[in-house]
Amino acid sequence: MHATRHDDAARPALTRREWLGRTGALLASGATMGPLAGLAGAAGGTGYKALVCIELAGGNDGLNTLPPIDAERYAQYAATRGPLALPLEKILPLDASHGLHPALAALVPYWEAGKLATMFNVGPLHEPLTQAQYLSLPSGSPQIPGNLFSHSDQLKLWESGSSDPTTRTGWGGLASALLGTPNPVISLGGNAAFGVEAIRTPLVLPYAGAIFGATGLMPGDLGDPANRLRRTAMDALQSQAQDVALADAYTAAHRDAFVVSERIGALVASVPGDALSSAAIDDAFAPLFVHGLPGTDLAAQLYQIAKMINGRAIVLGKRQIFYARQGRFDTHFNQVDDDDPTTGQHADLLKEFADALAAFQRAMDNLGMSESVIAFTQADFGRTFLPNASLGTDHAWGNNHFMLGGPVNGGKTYGTYPELVLGGPDDTTDDPALAQGRWIPTTSVDQYAQTLLHWFGLDAKQMLKVLPNLVNFPGKRIPFA
Amino acid sequence: MVREYAFALTGWTFPHGGLSQVPCLPLGTNCKWLEGDMIVLSSFHDTRPHALLSGVQVPANSTAPQALELVLDSIMAHPNIGPFVARRMIQNFVSSNPSPAYVGRVAAAFDTGAFSSDGVAFGTGTKGDMQATIAAVLLDAEARSQAVVRSQGFLREPILFFTGVLRSLNGKSDGSQMGQWGTMLAEDVFRPPSVFDFYPPDYPVAGTDLVGPQFGIHNTNGALNRLNFLNYLLIEGGTPPNPKHPDSLGTLIDDTAFLSSASDAGALVDRLSLLAFGHTLPSGTRTPVVDAVSYWNETTAPDGAWQHKRVDAAAYLVFGSPDYQVQR
Repeated sequence: MHATRHDDAARPALTRREWLGRTGALLASGATMGPLAGLAGAAGGTGYKALVCIELAGGNDGLNTLPPIDAERYAQYAATRGPLALPLEKILPLDASHGLHPALAALVPYWEAGKLATMFNVGPLHEPLTQAQYLSLPSGSPQIPGNLFSHSDQLKLWESGSSDPTTRTGWGGLASALLGTPNPVISLGGNAAFGVEAIRTPLVLPYAGAIFGATGLMPGDLGDPANRLRRTAMDALQSQAQDVALADAYTAAHRDAFVVSERIGALVASVPGDALSSAAIDDAFAPLFVHGLPGTDLAAQLYQIAKMINGRAIVLGKRQIFYARQGRFDTHFNQVDDDDPTTGQHADLLKEFADALAAFQRAMDNLGMSESVIAFTQADFGRTFLPNASLGTDHAWGNNHFMLGGPVNGGKTYGTYPELVLGGPDDTTDDPALAQGRWIPTTSVDQYAQTLLHWFGLDAKQMLKVLPNLVNFPGKRIPFA
Repeated sequence: MVREYAFALTGWTFPHGGLSQVPCLPLGTNCKWLEGDMIVLSSFHDTRPHALLSGVQVPANSTAPQALELVLDSIMAHPNIGPFVARRMIQNFVSSNPSPAYVGRVAAAFDTGAFSSDGVAFGTGTKGDMQATIAAVLLDAEARSQAVVRSQGFLREPILFFTGVLRSLNGKSDGSQMGQWGTMLAEDVFRPPSVFDFYPPDYPVAGTDLVGPQFGIHNTNGALNRLNFLNYLLIEGGTPPNPKHPDSLGTLIDDTAFLSSASDAGALVDRLSLLAFGHTLPSGTRTPVVDAVSYWNETTAPDGAWQHKRVDAAAYLVFGSPDYQVQR
């Protein structure tokens, strides 16, 4: 673990091409790439698989993220989106029909390399739902997911893989429990329900550079007898059976924290360039470093996830689900600048997202782990097709999402883009005067998760335990991975 | 229905110019505009009629203040408001998982505006009376009984943990370092991440069938950082006043009142235990705690600081114990 880091002190940053070349040579020779590569077991991560959920919290505007570019639909888009509409010539074309917001330029190479795919109009459903059914079913019908258009509830629907917002567990958590993974979902973005199991809660880690341990009680502190006695007493306090269940839950979390932090605390704390860091990861994230650390919130999270994937021999497990969270997507006001729809809050958010995700994928490529990892997005909901009067958009339902990684059948779009007509067949109302463009999803979260979890290794029986509504979507699995 | 409420509440905005002097961090917050009452911009108010809950109608051409009154009336008239407020109040003051009957008793106090206990009457008889409601929360048998029920109690949220330790140990703070510790424990107290506050009221506690709102921000890292806060405040000595600022207090405890108990480590631990959670520790945990405190004496701390070290060690363990962290 404390091996000296090779050759980094004075070398210039390697280009991605150089890294790929070097990685290949090292893999071919069976040599290790850095201090943690030996811990990681077989090069290329034989049998290891990781899913990385990136939540665009607040509800990302999927329509400006992945706008249409064919003449007919671009005209519909531009007419309704008005001051929010991206100019056609600024949109980065993916195929003849769809493009990317210009702030997502960092992702284009992965589309071209066949590693990036998109899922259109996906969202929580109980079963396939038409506009006529949505409008005629009484309020509270189980066929309609509960409390639609509310942040906290619709996020819960996404995270639980359920149509009931009172569900206690998340689909990432349930899958981890069924597979018996040594760790629960590892989260860099808080305690989100996505990783909650019946018994375990997400393992929440701090960012690089933070101490992940209890000062004075860590193994290296115990040479001091005062610390050693304090540690013994604290262990006794936290091992004592409690009279109330919440206190037993508290002490269980405490004991877990000590076990896991003693195993991986040094790796968690490791910063770019130190003895435990990986040059393959540092080089990938280097363009985003500010004062030697990842300079954006999402980059800081994905940097830690890359480290945990590289350090899998001590993190433990052949299967690991990760969770990251980028906030501030609830763009009701000033989503775009008033003089330029390609700049402003949403453009800044998407640039942070794309730059961090591209750095993460570069790290996976550098490590030779690309075939072992899929990253995917989720969000509370999409946003209204019709902007509001404040240069913003409001809460909607179906949304467009990304899947990225070597196992992804990329360079393709999946699902059906909503018909861009206010009050049209995909809208939640048939009255154009009231309509704001809240699309009824045409692909369910269950179907989206099914493809990810099938790749991850769940069998059909386990799948139905994690995604109980999947029985209502009996068609072919969506072949994006 | 949500849209009807949104329309009824149009026309309100921030006071002109912004009143707060507080700098606007983190990105995306709008603190310059968050002080002072909101004001009406009539031209932005939707004057169409709106049908609200409880049969309340906002007539056409109502002003924004008239519509606001009707919005509040419609909520106060809804049968769910009493149980809703009752449950939230109990969760914050007494227990994360109150029995339905307890919620019902507090809801009744809210609805009638009256509550009496041991011959003492609370409240004015007006629906929503807070004196009656809070008296019903705190004086209920479920709040006061010595008999422990497995489902009772709540996890102290980080800010109440910080302030509880400081107040118990006669400490003072001008807030220095509190933002940093709050951030590390996911509760930067005046800056919740969204309108949904720091944690949801129904956060599930894994391994139980209970909810624990404060567990929504408690996790592996938080468990360690609760101890690190105690280490900072007690073992490292907190933060001294900043001499550049005349009103600075720093963040410090004052252990003077406890030094008289320091010569007897067992008595010191018992005194702090009673102060922190109302009972002494059972012998299985009291013995190792006393051992850790007794370590300090004139030999191990020859500079004369051993009494202080004993108070610090005892307070670290007592306030770091699950007996304190989860209030019964």
